[in-house]
This record gives sequence, structure tokens and C-alpha cells, in this order.
Amino acid sequence: MLRVQEDFVEENAPGGLERSDKNKSMKTYLSLIAIDLKLAARQRIVIFFNYLFPLIVFFIFAAVFRARQDPAAMTYVLTMSVSLGVLGNGLFGAGIRTLQERELNILRRYKVTPITPVPILVASMITGWCIFIPYILLVICLAHFIYHMPWPAQFGSLLVFITIGLIAFRAIGLVIASVANTMQEGTILVQLCYFPMLFLSGATVPAEFFPRIVQIISNFIPATYLVFGMRGIMLRQQGLADDWRSVVALVITALVGLTVGTKLFRWEKEEKIRKSAKLWIAAVLLPFLLLGGYQALTGHNVIRPGIFGK
Amino acid sequence: MNAEAIIAVEALRKSYDKVEAVKGIDFQVRAGEVFGILGPNGAGKTTTVEILEGLRPRSGGEARVLGYDPERQKQQLKDRIGVCLQATNLPAKIRAQEALDLFGSFYSRSISSEKLLKRLQLWEKRNAYYETLSGGQKQRLALALSLVNDPQLLFLDEPTTGLDPQIRLEIHGLIEELKAEVRTVVLTTHYIEEAERLCDRVAIMDEGRIVAMGTPRELQQKSREQSRIQIVTATPLDPNQLPQWPDAMQTTVDGDGRSLTVYSARPARTLFEIMKWLDQKGMQLEDVHLKKPTLEDVFVELTGKKLRD
Repeated sequence: MLRVQEDFVEENAPGGLERSDKNKSMKTYLSLIAIDLKLAARQRIVIFFNYLFPLIVFFIFAAVFRARQDPAAMTYVLTMSVSLGVLGNGLFGAGIRTLQERELNILRRYKVTPITPVPILVASMITGWCIFIPYILLVICLAHFIYHMPWPAQFGSLLVFITIGLIAFRAIGLVIASVANTMQEGTILVQLCYFPMLFLSGATVPAEFFPRIVQIISNFIPATYLVFGMRGIMLRQQGLADDWRSVVALVITALVGLTVGTKLFRWEKEEKIRKSAKLWIAAVLLPFLLLGGYQALTGHNVIRPGIFGK
Repeated sequence: MNAEAIIAVEALRKSYDKVEAVKGIDFQVRAGEVFGILGPNGAGKTTTVEILEGLRPRSGGEARVLGYDPERQKQQLKDRIGVCLQATNLPAKIRAQEALDLFGSFYSRSISSEKLLKRLQLWEKRNAYYETLSGGQKQRLALALSLVNDPQLLFLDEPTTGLDPQIRLEIHGLIEELKAEVRTVVLTTHYIEEAERLCDRVAIMDEGRIVAMGTPRELQQKSREQSRIQIVTATPLDPNQLPQWPDAMQTTVDGDGRSLTVYSARPARTLFEIMKWLDQKGMQLEDVHLKKPTLEDVFVELTGKKLRD
């Protein structure tokens, strides 16, 4: 049995600031959130993907759908723009950034400290939310003052729904980062998730125009529930309970994603993961696969006629 | 088992699939000493150190660091030690002081970033982004980060690799300061002069095994290599008239006949005899050098390899 001088540290420790476990934990979370926010504000790419790109889309779609003449069309445009922001914030903001930090050996520096993946992932979620919420408020104000869209009647439900969506999509991004062994692999996986969600969910092309088979496929895509959940709240003044299936699916995705992201979290690029681990992406998307299957079997469709359908 | 040991390793093994990187090594590190692990790339020194830092699980054997099992009590251990990794990075847009404040928040004990920045001569650069720091400044910041929790035990993994000689000397000075503060340092390096200058004891590793361990002086004395005596005289020597000096193994006269090189296993006695002979011959001495075997010589002798292979 090995014996070492265990009391050495206590006896010889020179002066330093001691913290209790609770204080240390709180300070760790606050420091990580503060630094994440500062770093985000210093990176042009973050500003571009979180603010400029969705804003450009917002104004282009507003012009295309003649939103000045129809406040309902503006609501449509607003949900498209916010959905794009959520997808970018989640898949690129959380997924690609985690991959970059691992590739650049930044996470390796964290690994030698007593920190666990949980504060890093929680700080990432909170930072993503803090960065994105001002954008939502900005586009709602723009929609109201420039395009005369009425203020959302269910504003609280809208914010909660977007928050759940944001956490769910950031969780998907984190799971992709966890199962990808290289930056290249991760980029491919993110694109494989991003583009179908972009084009088949109604976030860019109105889903009412899709042929029946594409609408059925669309029912399997998580972003569809985000887009139509927001539209339900804004166009039909629905509360969260009215679209509970979408809410539950997004919450389950967020919880499963965070759990899997924490379990499979890797600090170093040298720590490779088995190829079969990529099936965890399917596990995170399972609630939507089940929902899509349910819609297909029952003949229901999440895509309900909106202003274009009418 | 030595009661003063704060690291104790017994029959430590580590395998990656079928490759055995560490093959059952034993050693102890005493409180307050600088313990060097020398070896070429792939010798197993980084793997050994990373097991002790709680970064990798071991495949076999036992290890205790500051009383903790590095595999089962890694969080407690990491809270107590300082680590300067070989290859690491920070976000490009983080400022030097922000990095220290951030990492300080991860520990139950931390010292002020201001104090560390001043100590590591980075105070002027406290608001500089990490991406704008030079290689030496980045390494000094890495060392500052390893000190942020005021650790009694530091692991420095090749802290001067790739740095210019000036910066290396600065970092050597810092390690000497840490030693003076009675902190324990485990230093992996493949720079011989670093180990000779800084380490109280050295373990030489090759292919996952410790092939020799002791103070640099003990290791040099174990060498079968001979010391080299080099003498320059004012007038040329006749190579055919040189006597057989005691313990001299090989004698050569170079160039214009004024430079004499003698290899000896007992250099003090041989040198004394050479001086006596020169005096008897009435020859003027211009220069004399005595070069003992280095750790590099010891390493080559033990492994048949150069340290930077």
C-alpha cells in the first residue's frame, strides 16, 4: 500500500483566498457566463450569425411577402427569422464552437482544473440565451414599428417557447460536437442537420407550398415544431398548453441532449469516440421521430394552413 | 517507503489497445524537490505525468499524489495541483488578466491575478488579447495559470520546448524561485541542460521504463563514459614522445600539434600527471578544459538513442 505525506498541503499552504464549495461553484458559473458573453461580443462571426444574418433575412422576407401591407404576413416573416436565428445559435453557436475549442486544445486547458463539463455546458446555454433574447426583442419592435404588426398577445408564452427551442437546438449542437471526432466530421453533421431544417421546416420556404410527401417528411424535423409552435402562439394566440406535444418534444430533446452532451463530453481531440456513438444524435431526435410517425399514422399534419394556405 | 514522499508510484502501467506506453514503473517524489523525467518523444513521460495529474486512467499498478488516488479522487487532486501542459491554448480574444481570473474561479483557493501577472512580468500585457501575445508571453501566462491556485505541487510538461534561449532562461529562473519556495515540481523535458540545472533528481525513461534514476551527479558518475581533458600548449608537442599517463584511455594531438586531447576514467589523477609532465618538460600551458560525461552521454549509453530522437 502506498503511503505519502498527506498533511503536507494543509501544513505548508501559504496564504491564498479560500472559498467554500458553494461559493466556488457559484463563482465558477458566473465567471464562465461572463467570459462567454465577453468573448461572444468580441467575435464578429457571432454578431453576424446571431444578429446580422437573421436581420437581413427578416428584411428580405418582409419585402418578398409584402409585410407592409399585411401584418399577418409580418408575423410569418418574424417566425422565419427567429427560427433561423435559433437554428444558427444552436447548431453553429453551441456545436461548432465546442468543436473548435476542442480542436484548438482550449478544452484541454480546462481539463487540468477541477471543473466538470456541467458548468461549461450550462454557461454555454445561458450565454446562448443572453445573446439571442435581445435579437427577439429587436425584431418584434421592428415588426411592430415598421410593419405595424400587433404586439404578441401571448408574449410570455412566446419567450418561454423560444427559450425551450433554443435550449433544445443548442443541446442538439452539443451532442453533434460530442460525437464528432474531427472538425470536418462535425461540420458535415451540422450541415446535415441544418439544411433539412432550414428548407423543410417552413423556416425559409412556406411549408403550405410543399407537396404532401414533403409535408409528411417535414413532420419528422424538429425545426418544424419550432416554426409552427411560434406561429400558433403569434397567429392563433395559443398558449403553451395548446401545443403541448411540440413543447414536450422540445423539452425531452433538451434534457436528453444535455445529458448525452455531458456524458460524452470530450476535452481533447485525441480522445476519439466510436463511430456507433453517432447514433446518439438519433436518440436526441427521437421525440420528433416519434411525433412524425404519430402524425403520419393518424393522418394529422403539424403544418396547418397559414396565411399562404388560405 | 519514504515518509516525505508526496508522490508515490508502484508498478504503474498504461496501455493503449495493444501498445504498452508505460511498463510498470516505480518512483517517489519528495516534498520540495524538483524531480525531472527525461526521455525522448514516445518514452512514456507525458503519459506517466498525465496519469499522476488525474487526466488519464492507469491500466495497472498504484499511484498516490498528495494522498489522493489520481484516478478515483481526481477533482480533489486537481484542486490542489498546478499543471502546465505541453500543448494547450486559450480563446484568441481572452485578455491575460481575464484568463487568470476565470481559471482562479475554478479552484477553492486562488491568489490574485495582479500578483501573478506582476510576478510573471505580464502586468503590462494584462489587457492584451491572448492571440497578440508572443510565444514566450503565452508560455509565461500558461505558467501563471498553473500557479493560480497557489499549488504546493506543480507538473510542468516540457515548459520550454520551442522557446528561444532568452525565454528559456527566464523560465528556468522561475522554476528556481518555485524551488526556493519549497514547492515540489515534476518537470518533464528533453533538454539536458534544463535537467542538469534545475532537477534535484532525474528519472530517465525509455520505451515506457525507467532506465536510471538519481541525482544528475549520481547518474553522471554511474557512466562508463570517460571525461575529456583538453590542453593547449604554447609550443607544439611531438605525438611520438607522449608518455602513457595513468588511466588515460585515448590520447591525440590535433592541428598544429599544440592541442592535446586525453580521455580518462579518473580525470583528476590523469590531469595532475599531465601537468607534472608539462612542468618537467618546461612547456608553457595556454589553456585547459575538463569535460565530464553529461546526462546526454548517460542516456545514450543506457538506451543507445539520442534524447531528441
